[in-house]
Amino acid sequence: MSANDGGDRPAAASVVLGRLARVALALYPAAWRERYGDEVRALLDDSGADVRTVAGLAWQAALAWAWPPRHLYDRPARMRGSVATVLVAWTMLAGLGLVFDQLTQLQGARSPAHPLIAWSYWVFDAAAAVSVAGVVIGGLPLWLLMMRTAVRRRSWRDVMCLCSPLSATAAWVVAVRITVLLLHRADGVGQWWFLALVAAGFGAACWFAAGPVLALLRLRPGGPAVALAARAGGVAAVAMTLAGAASIVAAVAVTLWAPPYAGYHQGWPLGIYVPAVVLAGVVATVSAARGVRASRPGGAG
Amino acid sequence: LSDRLDRWADPPLLVLASLSGGPKHGYAIMQDVADTMGVRLTAGTLYAVIARLEARGLIEAAEAEDRRRPYRLTAAGASALAAESERMHRVASLARERLRVAQPGPAATRPPTPSPTPWPALRRAAGRGPGWAGA
Repeated sequence: MSANDGGDRPAAASVVLGRLARVALALYPAAWRERYGDEVRALLDDSGADVRTVAGLAWQAALAWAWPPRHLYDRPARMRGSVATVLVAWTMLAGLGLVFDQLTQLQGARSPAHPLIAWSYWVFDAAAAVSVAGVVIGGLPLWLLMMRTAVRRRSWRDVMCLCSPLSATAAWVVAVRITVLLLHRADGVGQWWFLALVAAGFGAACWFAAGPVLALLRLRPGGPAVALAARAGGVAAVAMTLAGAASIVAAVAVTLWAPPYAGYHQGWPLGIYVPAVVLAGVVATVSAARGVRASRPGGAG
Repeated sequence: LSDRLDRWADPPLLVLASLSGGPKHGYAIMQDVADTMGVRLTAGTLYAVIARLEARGLIEAAEAEDRRRPYRLTAAGASALAAESERMHRVASLARERLRVAQPGPAATRPPTPSPTPWPALRRAAGRGPGWAGA
């Protein structure tokens, strides 16, 4: 080891921390960065960065998202961001719910084995129905507004994007029907084809949500339709998260009290399912809360 | 515990106190607060405070010099700082007086280290955004 190594190490650490500080700065909302980003970069150039600086910037970036300063608060943008995030998280939750439904209630073997399972099924069904109704009723006016805007502007790419929920659903249903027709056996399509259809379903879910989100970002609609969608997103997110929680209770109960049922003799599906539902539920409800807060007249930052 | 009371120092008040000496940009505020008040603000905390104080009209930005933008107290900021300073002065006087009564003798003649307070009035004026406790 040369004598120079000892001197280079702190300098290299300082360079790395400086870069990390700039990465942390990139985590702030765009409006915040636009207003204060250059000043903070200049300050970092003057003062340097240590671990505390990086951690402080990352923490304050999270707070700037949660409680943006009032003069940087863009209500329509916040509502559009919330609607987009809730739609993506909701679609993932709905996809997970379909997998749960397919592996439990749609199996035909209705032997709940425990009252908790039957109650969880009931809560799941009711909450999922409320959530779907919330998305349709709250999202339709915004969808129609964006479709009218896209047609007026002759933006056929946005029209295609807005049609993606229909096209993605139709494509996936057709793929499932064809697969079932071609491969159906007494015991279903088999484990690997089932997993392939699930993977294709999540691909279709991404397609389902990506189109309206892209249209929302490009067309930047405003007004009462966005506020209604943000509020309906709150209802839909809470209801779908409740459905997800009920499905977790049911899945755990089935694993405990009905082990030979529908592949629940293995614990690993729960190890994937539970974190996925929790993550999507947290993202959906947090973002929905931000959207609902922004949708209120004079909604504070 | 008394050695750790400085951790309660409220960054908005420190920034207002620093700007009461004249306009300063971010790095100058950070250095001034560290040199005169012994509190090291991080970049994240400092700009969170600046953003909140600016949003509430207690400070305002001056013309940017290169990438560095100086800030100065507004009349509302000076008024809030004066009110809070007066309140802190009353609290400090009361504390000294009561300590003198409670601990008669030579120790009582030595004034205790001023104890920073949570300054609720200024918190109300500057907004109670979370995260300022991290300074």
